[in-house]
Amino acid sequence: MQVTDRNREARTTVVLAVLCFVLQLTLAPNVGLGNGRANFALVFTACLALFSGGRSPAVAGFVAGLLFDLSSTGPIGLMAFCLTLVGFALGLGARERVVGDLATSVVYASAASLAVSVVYHVAMLLVGQSSSLIDALFLRALPTALLTIVAFLPFAYYFSRVRTHGMGLSGRHASGGLGRPLL
Amino acid sequence: MGTKNNRSGGTRGLVVCAVLSVVLFTLSCQSGGEGPLEAARGAFQTVTSPIRVFGSVITAPVRGLGNVFANLTADQATLTELQAEVDELRARNAELEEDAGSAQRLQDLLDLRDNNDLQSVAARIISGSTDSWSSTVTLDKGSSSGLSAGMPVTTSSGVIGQIVSCSATTSTVRLLSDESSSISAMVQSSRAQGMLQGSASGEVRLELVSTGQEVSVGDVVVTSGLGGVFPKGLPVGEVASVTSNPGDLYLDIVVELYADTTRSEEVLVITSITESQRASSEDIAEADAQEHGSSDDEDETTDGDATNDQADGGQAQ
Repeated sequence: MQVTDRNREARTTVVLAVLCFVLQLTLAPNVGLGNGRANFALVFTACLALFSGGRSPAVAGFVAGLLFDLSSTGPIGLMAFCLTLVGFALGLGARERVVGDLATSVVYASAASLAVSVVYHVAMLLVGQSSSLIDALFLRALPTALLTIVAFLPFAYYFSRVRTHGMGLSGRHASGGLGRPLL
Repeated sequence: MGTKNNRSGGTRGLVVCAVLSVVLFTLSCQSGGEGPLEAARGAFQTVTSPIRVFGSVITAPVRGLGNVFANLTADQATLTELQAEVDELRARNAELEEDAGSAQRLQDLLDLRDNNDLQSVAARIISGSTDSWSSTVTLDKGSSSGLSAGMPVTTSSGVIGQIVSCSATTSTVRLLSDESSSISAMVQSSRAQGMLQGSASGEVRLELVSTGQEVSVGDVVVTSGLGGVFPKGLPVGEVASVTSNPGDLYLDIVVELYADTTRSEEVLVITSITESQRASSEDIAEADAQEHGSSDDEDETTDGDATNDQADGGQAQ
């Protein structure tokens, strides 16, 4: 039973990763809110952390952030650092307590989204890639955070409502969160 | 126990990933737009470009909705109309900028002509050298415009060479950097006179300047007027390096030319020079004195009129 669940978890993680990766490259560049763009790397990290917990979200956040950095024109490593911390923090704080709770997971993800957007854009300001703090915060960080939260909603709904009571992303019948053991 | 190990592993993963991120970030900021990280980024973007193209295609129908703030108050027809207008204005702006640049260069040439009281004809460079062994450019005017072989050619920034052949409508100019080019020039500050000689490598040297002369890096080199072909005092370039080897009679002076023919389009062909633009008898005497002085210093017998004899001799055969 445990082996079957782990396989399902891995499969779901891979499907989620591929989906977010493709959305990051296809949808995010073409749908904007002001200068803001949705961050699907953060969506992936938040989903993994909030609905599975454990040790993987930090590493997954790092990998997702690194891919985000490679796909952007900013310094490499900045988003990887932010998402490593976010993955670890969300994973620790939310383990087993948030699964199935849509409202709480959205609040957690919103806080993370806002924090990552602000830190990322302030860091970009400090390394000289942006010139105005006001622009960085209000024209870039806030719209990005808002779009990321909007992008997170369907995923949160799926994992908290659909997946806990219906079919999983990988097509199998599900009865728990992304990482909930079937004991 | 399992939870404890899990947390320990999570913390270890956090530390490793965080340190790695900071290292990558530092390296990325230090390397700027180069290095292995940028190469990795380039490779990543190349690999993922089909996905981006795919995304661009499938989001094309809804892309108008992309920027909610910007498009909130405008309908699609207005946006299309504005886009067409922007495209037209952009093309017009590029055209005007080109005209403005050309007008500025012509104004610079006029200023040069007026300042030096030059009798000249304006021409345009239409091509570069067609062979690999000579450094020449072709002008769009020839003998029908009053041009002839031997006439000096200059841009607003400096002399570029001398006409070596003319057809009715075109002229070929041998550049100063050509190996067979040689004109008389002098260092403006110290009045040290010599021969500006091109080379196969494109490097230009001021030769026959004795080691007793004062020449420094950055000194301006101008035409000396000796030989009666080039007007006196036209800017040529500046001294890039000066080397004085023990036992040598002359300094080894490398000159960086002001005029860059790859970026020049309009030139002035100097059709005649006035008496005041030629080297005066004092200049000739000074050149001779320099040559004799260097010979005396070395206690050797040399041809004292070498400089004067060779003035502008390498051009316009």
